[in-house]
Amino acid sequence: MKNQIAKLFVFLPKINRQHIQVAFALLALVLFVLGAGAPSDGGIISR
Amino acid sequence: MILLVAILAGWVAGLILTCSQKRPWTVPPLAKSWMVLVAFLPQFILLYLPGIRARVPDSLAAAGLLVSLALLLVFCWFNRRLSGVWLLALGLFFNLLVMATNSGFMPISPQTASQLVPHDTLAALGSGDRFGTKDILLLPEQTRLIWLSDQFLPPKGFPYQVAFSAGDVLIAAGAFWLMVTQGKAIETPKSKIAKESKC
Repeated sequence: MKNQIAKLFVFLPKINRQHIQVAFALLALVLFVLGAGAPSDGGIISR
Repeated sequence: MILLVAILAGWVAGLILTCSQKRPWTVPPLAKSWMVLVAFLPQFILLYLPGIRARVPDSLAAAGLLVSLALLLVFCWFNRRLSGVWLLALGLFFNLLVMATNSGFMPISPQTASQLVPHDTLAALGSGDRFGTKDILLLPEQTRLIWLSDQFLPPKGFPYQVAFSAGDVLIAAGAFWLMVTQGKAIETPKSKIAKESKC
C-alpha cells in the first residue's frame, strides 16, 4: 500500500497541462460522437 | 460503440501516419470543447440515467435530445475549419433532421429492430414506442425521411448487431478523418510543392 502511494506521488508530477488538454479533447470527441450518433443495438427497450 | 471504434481506428491510423512521417501525433485542436459537455448533459440526464429516464415523459426527452443535437451543431460551427468536422456536422445534421421530423427520436422499422432483439421482446412493443436509447419504433409508411433513419445493419453473422443511419456513417467517417489528420489538411506531394513555391 505504501509502495503504491509512493508510486502515485512519482507519477502525479508527470501529468502536465498538455496531458490534461489531450484527455479533455478526447473526452469531448467521445461525447460528441455519442451525443450526435444514434445507432441502436436495442440495449434499453421502451424506457 | 461503433462510433467509438471509428475514433480508436482514426487514432491508430493517425499514429501510424505521423510515425511514418517522423513527427508526433497531436490531439485535434478543438475550440470550445466545454460546449460538448454542456450539449451532452441533457441527453445524459434524460436518456442514460435509468432512474430519471423512466420518469421523464417522451416529449421532454425528445426536446432534450433535439436541443442537445442543436448545441452540438453550434460546436461544429466553431470548429468548421478543422478537417473532418464538415463530415461530422453533415452526419449530425442528417440525424437531427430525421429525428425532428419523427417525434424527436430516431425512427427504426420493426423489420430492422427484429434483427436486434428477440421476437418476444419486439412483440410487446407497438408502433410509436421507444426502442433502445434514442430510437422510436415506426412502420416504414409512418416514417418521414426514411432514408435517414436507422435502416442499415452489419452483414449477417457479424458478432455485434447494431442498426445505424446514414448520419451515423458520416459521423464515424468524420471522427476517423479528424483523428487521422489531427484537424489539419493532409499534405499531399502536390500541396507541399505549392506551399514551398509560395515561400
